Amino acid sequence: MSSGYKSWILLTGFILFYVAYLLLGALVFSTIERPVEDKLKSDIQVLKEEFLNQSCVNATSLENFLEKVLQANKYGISILPNSSASSNWDLASSLFFANTLVTTVGYGHTTPLSDTGKAFSIFYALLGVPFTMLVLTACVQRLMHPVTYGPIGMCRQRFGLDPLAATAVHFAILLLLVVLGFFVVPAVVFSHIEDTWSFLDAIYFCFITLCTIGLGDYVPGEKPGQKFRSLYKISVMVYLFVGLMMMYLVLRAFHRMADLHGLTSFFQLPHCDEDIEEDKEPIIEAGDEDQHEAEASAKPLDPASQTSYNTINR
Amino acid sequence: MRCPTLLALLAGVMLYLVMGALVFRNLESPKESKEHEKLLCTTRDFLGNHSCVTAQNLSDLIKSVVKAVEAGLDVKHSSTNFTSRWDLASAFFFCGTIITTIGFGNLSPRTKWGQLFCVCYALVGIPMFGFLLAGVGDHMGTGLRKAVWKMETLFLKRRVSPTYVRVMSAVLSILIGCLIFLAVPTLVFKEVEDWSFLEALYFVVITLTTVGFGDYVAGANRRDGDLFKPLVWLWIVFGLAYFASILTMIGNWLRVLSKKTRAEVEELRAHATDWTQNIQNMSMDFRIPNPLDLNDTFLLQRRRWKRSTWQRVRRGALGHHGRQGFIGENGHLPNRWVSHTRSMTRLEVVRLGGGEVRNEGTRLRPGAVLGADSRVSPRSEGRLLGRTVARSLSMPAARSVMELDYDLDPVAMMMLQGKSLSESPESDSRSEVSSSDSHTSDVCTPGQEITFASFDASGSLCTEERGIQGGSRQVFFQEDVRFPVLLQQLPKSHNPTKPIPMLPIFSVKPMPLPMPTLPGCKMLDFFGENLAYIDESSDTLSDRNQPVEGAVSPRPRKPRRRSIRRQLPHRSPLKERRDSDMLPPSNPPTPPPLSRLTQ
Repeated sequence: MSSGYKSWILLTGFILFYVAYLLLGALVFSTIERPVEDKLKSDIQVLKEEFLNQSCVNATSLENFLEKVLQANKYGISILPNSSASSNWDLASSLFFANTLVTTVGYGHTTPLSDTGKAFSIFYALLGVPFTMLVLTACVQRLMHPVTYGPIGMCRQRFGLDPLAATAVHFAILLLLVVLGFFVVPAVVFSHIEDTWSFLDAIYFCFITLCTIGLGDYVPGEKPGQKFRSLYKISVMVYLFVGLMMMYLVLRAFHRMADLHGLTSFFQLPHCDEDIEEDKEPIIEAGDEDQHEAEASAKPLDPASQTSYNTINR
Repeated sequence: MRCPTLLALLAGVMLYLVMGALVFRNLESPKESKEHEKLLCTTRDFLGNHSCVTAQNLSDLIKSVVKAVEAGLDVKHSSTNFTSRWDLASAFFFCGTIITTIGFGNLSPRTKWGQLFCVCYALVGIPMFGFLLAGVGDHMGTGLRKAVWKMETLFLKRRVSPTYVRVMSAVLSILIGCLIFLAVPTLVFKEVEDWSFLEALYFVVITLTTVGFGDYVAGANRRDGDLFKPLVWLWIVFGLAYFASILTMIGNWLRVLSKKTRAEVEELRAHATDWTQNIQNMSMDFRIPNPLDLNDTFLLQRRRWKRSTWQRVRRGALGHHGRQGFIGENGHLPNRWVSHTRSMTRLEVVRLGGGEVRNEGTRLRPGAVLGADSRVSPRSEGRLLGRTVARSLSMPAARSVMELDYDLDPVAMMMLQGKSLSESPESDSRSEVSSSDSHTSDVCTPGQEITFASFDASGSLCTEERGIQGGSRQVFFQEDVRFPVLLQQLPKSHNPTKPIPMLPIFSVKPMPLPMPTLPGCKMLDFFGENLAYIDESSDTLSDRNQPVEGAVSPRPRKPRRRSIRRQLPHRSPLKERRDSDMLPPSNPPTPPPLSRLTQ
């Protein structure tokens, strides 16, 4: 059927566009980063030459030494004199590690060294990641009512906006609040606590963390001699969790808005309609019934919007 | 999700984290201190061997080397010909890891502009990848669901319990996915990257869950050739999509199951309370023995032979399709009259098999029909009815046309005036819906996903759900009784596959309820036949058996006109009827206007 074809064509179009997007990103990154990398590499070469020249060390032994140091560094162990005496695997850090594992951020600044640790992380992740997703989704579902449905309803009633405008306005405000509260403010805090981080570094870190990318080039609390390290790491954990929840909330509000505006139908993407009904059900009181009924009955039965789900209708 | 559940889940996650932290600490700390010792030894040796190097020089060198390594440089091979790590293939791979939110980190932007661009790039790319994943996962999920459905039908043919089938199909699909996306890549990486099996598996799991530590990265050695990295990326995308769709499927099942049980319990309780009230009121009005005693087996036995009419209400059980049930959140009619008779036990047996699942994409309802509970709200649950109907309407899965144009009046249950039930509207709709039913000529069609029958003018709500199997229970309402009576009948020994149209009828008004009955569908025993005493109009039974103009389905049984007022037990007719084919009730000649049922 045509809508089936349409869905396939759209999907292929998406994939192609996606590949093009990746290529574009690759080009840009390459252009930006390569010169800096060249410079760093030549600096290191020069440093090594100088070191070798002024000392009695030969190249081979230096390289062996460096290899060992780098190996240790990969595991987070530093031999620099003022490195922190605290282990990377004390309780707070382990908790932090478990949290990054379970929320799929995965910095990689500390990774399991032993084979047992690796095997355990496999099982831990396999169980913990869906579990965390479930919890986050559940929290977001509960939060949607006071944060999204409530204000939207209020907007509609008090200001008389139609649903489309109300959701758009609400989404814009929500986005602004989330950006302020979860990116700008924490970035300021981080840039103060971490000496080596600038404000841009801190915002970059917040963004990379809250999108669960977690490159690991900036990790809070790794500075040697960090005061209140355990407390710091645990508060970062809390920030991570709450921030993730807010990101999901924003995503879901956006999805709903796209549904209302017909974007998801246009792109033949799954709706979150059923979630709306589900979400609303628990809080339906007697007074809301009419509204709910009206909304529910007003929602069109749009077979075209569910093309992909129709295919196994045998 | 309810608050206590949510809090419990949160507590569970916290506990899980703490447990993980403890285990990791115990596993890793010893190794870490050993590494530290080794490093100190090496440094001391080096400093000792090469006395011209001061500790300060060394630490400076090390600092800069470490910084370079963190920037992604490979300082081990100090070749002067420099091949950048930011060649196109690696940059492509890096972008891929950014967008899928894996974020290995073995390569990351060091410049300010690079970081800024990374942020903007991810802002656009991550939602886009989300859409892509949704689309791919959707198509994959459809194929998956088809396969699962085929498997399920295969299993269900052997009369395996639907819940069991569902669980098994889930397990099987997970296993297949694991095989394709976990086992095969592990072996490939083990060979290509020269890792151990555990390391390869560790990498595969950490990558597919998008954690992405970066301590192991496939394709990091550029000697692997340029084709390897895109292949790895493709594997990541499809693996992610597959597991996302599996997780969604399972999540939906769980959600529906939990909602169903919760909804069932709540509805049952609510309706039981209502019904009790009704009965007690009516018993006072009509001075009949307390119908609540009907639950008493002994009394029931005694009353059976005093029964005047066997009214059978056919109630199609809902093979319900999630919220397509017409009453209740999941389409369950309330089981109000739980009797201790054997029909009840049969009901239990049937109910055990119910594995109804609501899945937005899944049309698999193999066991749903059997497991559905039928509940009828006796009161003027027009509101409730309307709500649930509207809800079902808005269900994305409610693909079938629901011709519910009942008005919000309490679907009257039984007509006291002896009007017979009509089924013509429903049969029409049903006949068009039914496709290839092997069993009967009527519209009970197995294999049909869901159908909703229509209401006729009298406002009786007739819904039918046909699951894949088509088995459903029917509830017949006693026509002549003023009380909302719910009959339950289990699909007997015979065919759980025979679909039974479900017909919920309620109301305490004396109005005839058109009851569609399908020939071939099982009739339900009416539990509260005692209540037939009350009614003055006694024609219902006879009317029911009469063919009515417009009725499409044949009526195998001759209607028997009997006054309900008589308190003669008419067990035989009921038995007869029970054993014979389904009898479609006839239409009332003039459906009375429905009025809102007021309690």
